[in-house]
Amino acid sequence: MNNILEMENLGVTFSTESGDVPAVRGVSLRVAPGETLALVGESGSGKSTVALAALGLLPGNARASGGVSVGGTDVVGAGEAELARLRGRTASMVFQEPATALDPLTRIGRQIAEVVRNHRDVSRQEAAAEAVELLRRVGIPDPERRASAFPFQLSGGQRQRVVIAMAIANSPGLLVADEPTTALDVTVQAEILDLLRALAVDSGTGVLLVTHNMGVVADFADRVAVMLEGEIVETGTVEDVLLRPTHEYTRRLLEAVPRLTVSEPVGVVHEESEGAPVVELRGVGVRFGRGPRAVRALDDVSLTVRAGETVGLVGESGSGKSTAARVALGLVAPESGDVSLFGADLRKARGRARRTLLAGVGVVLQDPVASLDARMSVGECVAEPLRVHRSGMGAAERRERVAEVLELVRLPRELARRGPRELSGGQRQRVSLARALVLAPRLLVADEPTSALDVSVQRTVLEVIAELQSELGFACLFVSHDLAVVQQFAGRVVVMRGGRVEEQGPTMSTLLHPETAYTRRLIAAVPIPDPVLQRERRERRVASGTEAGA
Amino acid sequence: MDTLLYLTRRIAQALVVILIVTVVVFGLLHALPGGPARGILGPQATPQQITLFNHDQGLDRPLPVQYLYYLRQLLHGDLGTSYTLNEAVSQLIEQRLPKTLVLTVLSAVVGLLLALPLGMWQAVRRNKPADYVITTLSFVAYSTPVYFLGLVLVMVFTQVVRWFPSQAPQGDTVAQVFADPVALVLPVVTGAASMVAVFSRYMRAATLENLSEDYVRTARAGGSRQRAILFRHVFRNSLTPVIAMLGYYVPVLFGGALVVEQLFNYPGMGLLFWSAAQSSDYPVLLGCVLVISVATVVGTLLADVVQRVVDPRVKGGLA
Repeated sequence: MNNILEMENLGVTFSTESGDVPAVRGVSLRVAPGETLALVGESGSGKSTVALAALGLLPGNARASGGVSVGGTDVVGAGEAELARLRGRTASMVFQEPATALDPLTRIGRQIAEVVRNHRDVSRQEAAAEAVELLRRVGIPDPERRASAFPFQLSGGQRQRVVIAMAIANSPGLLVADEPTTALDVTVQAEILDLLRALAVDSGTGVLLVTHNMGVVADFADRVAVMLEGEIVETGTVEDVLLRPTHEYTRRLLEAVPRLTVSEPVGVVHEESEGAPVVELRGVGVRFGRGPRAVRALDDVSLTVRAGETVGLVGESGSGKSTAARVALGLVAPESGDVSLFGADLRKARGRARRTLLAGVGVVLQDPVASLDARMSVGECVAEPLRVHRSGMGAAERRERVAEVLELVRLPRELARRGPRELSGGQRQRVSLARALVLAPRLLVADEPTSALDVSVQRTVLEVIAELQSELGFACLFVSHDLAVVQQFAGRVVVMRGGRVEEQGPTMSTLLHPETAYTRRLIAAVPIPDPVLQRERRERRVASGTEAGA
Repeated sequence: MDTLLYLTRRIAQALVVILIVTVVVFGLLHALPGGPARGILGPQATPQQITLFNHDQGLDRPLPVQYLYYLRQLLHGDLGTSYTLNEAVSQLIEQRLPKTLVLTVLSAVVGLLLALPLGMWQAVRRNKPADYVITTLSFVAYSTPVYFLGLVLVMVFTQVVRWFPSQAPQGDTVAQVFADPVALVLPVVTGAASMVAVFSRYMRAATLENLSEDYVRTARAGGSRQRAILFRHVFRNSLTPVIAMLGYYVPVLFGGALVVEQLFNYPGMGLLFWSAAQSSDYPVLLGCVLVISVATVVGTLLADVVQRVVDPRVKGGLA
């Protein structure tokens, strides 16, 4: 059988202002028709570069060497015209970010028809009709009408379906999918993976799947290649690599992956916190906007975080979990209901009293790049809350406190003089954590603090938070979309959906024995990094899905 | 949102802005040294004459009353009387405005027709010699004062090669102006030069930004050629920020017309404004200011409406 994709000793070098940077070295791999090869690794490992090189889509400052052959065509040496004939017909691609992957000003039907007409001599009407058919195939409801929609009128999952429709428009032999589900909610991720699998199986398409998510790998791949610093360190079947890894790096990577426990735990019991409530939301409602176009972001939300405990706030995007955290931070004023922070009514507190109250809350946000001012040094970033809330503090004392907190989050105190840009993502999140802890808060609000980080980095950041929590005793409101992380980290969990609390309770019992169908669906959709177990879970999920659908 | 509702709201907003402009213009009229009376009666007028004049003209009544009176006159198309030309300001503007519109609209159209493709071409060939040459030329064109550029053009094309006349068409009606298109070339080119410089820069920046967008990569991955990507996707996406800028460019165009009309002896609003400024003919000056302000408000309104047509997200309230 001829391989649809063959890479032989591929090397990619980026020329930058500071010289040539090798991104990929000596990568050899192959994908047979109907087979899925997963390319895994952490950020910066070069996996996306390999994916782009397969279609000759590398940016202008990149140079490729070695051999890449797609359906017998040499990609490395090909000119733009030859590549254009290949792309979208022999091989096509699905990208990570469905929000930006489509032209915002062109109707989706036209964008799909464009790919059809790029390669086949059909009339506009025929191409438009094919576009509708493709939309139907990728599961867009009412495709005749939806074809004339603009991308902004679709949800993230639907946009990704449109990108997939474009990718399969000419029945390609090779589909390159670069983190196709990373930007999506778990339930949508499961649907998209099911769709891709069905398409690949139906038409015998070979798939090169680039992902950092081991659960997705277990769910989808036949074979796995692990990348580290531009090189492939281990290749094998999905069972071998995920269950019996031989390379040390693969082992470390798999160990760091937070696993959702799906069976009764052995002796791990989080004790119920009996402490006084630190923050309490009672019947909180929040509405954004005014009039008929207003969005009800929170509806009758009640939750409590007690001293010393960690409460996980989970739910899909748009469920209101971040808004709820913002209410607790005093950043969003609720329309109805009560918020009490450290026993005081946050809605009534004004001026100095409110500032004092809020000084007791530290916050860590998701984006490690955007949440630190690039023009301030690390020391200045961490010292800022001191300047605001402890204005009487002298400069020397302030420096000492900053150094102390940096050491607390396991960063060397010398880092204070550096700029945030010079740090890695994990270091930056620890700087954010230091800033949140500098005032010795009684409550830490962490909104997806590790979602932008690699698993190994995520683990160290979470460990630091957990250790500091037992050391300093602050309560933590932990917002996350990742049920596995929440399961490990939080004592209690609050599941949100559409601005309401779906259910809440102790983490273990809630996630093992969910009371609502929604939570059950949410848990079933999380892929776990064990190919054998995941296959069973998937079959059960698909079976129950068809039952529910029938 | 419903288009009709949007238009109604947007026009109401524009009317409010125009009302504020009238307040400012009215305030300026009364902030004149010695008030309008001194302007009309001249510096030799005695205080008694001024008092008498103020009483006759109702200028001794409270300002709000005077403002309402001024507004009523405005609604009747009465902008006052020129001090020096002894003609109704409205009539002067009525005669001159169409000619200025011909000049500015032609300059804008020619400028955009050159600027948009130029900017796109530069973006495609960024950091190559052609890009550098055009960039240099646009900075030269942008930083050269309009009157100097006009003088150079006049010198080259009327003295050295004698292709075009040094005067703009002299007729009083728009039809007469168009009857002599060759004479329009130099004024329009002079007016369009800075427009080309500015908008080719905008277009270059917008195109560059769009070329690095993900959807361009998606289109390439679907097998679309560079040319198709540029014309089908990038052009329209780059146009939206440029359209938004266009509305704000209206006063600049009028400012350019002021110099161009003077230079080519083209009796439009610019020349009217110029001579009024020379002779402190305040009613004319303020009448012109009012017209230009209204044109600016209408320009931004049009730009918003066009943007709504081009970009569906604006309508959906998402952009």
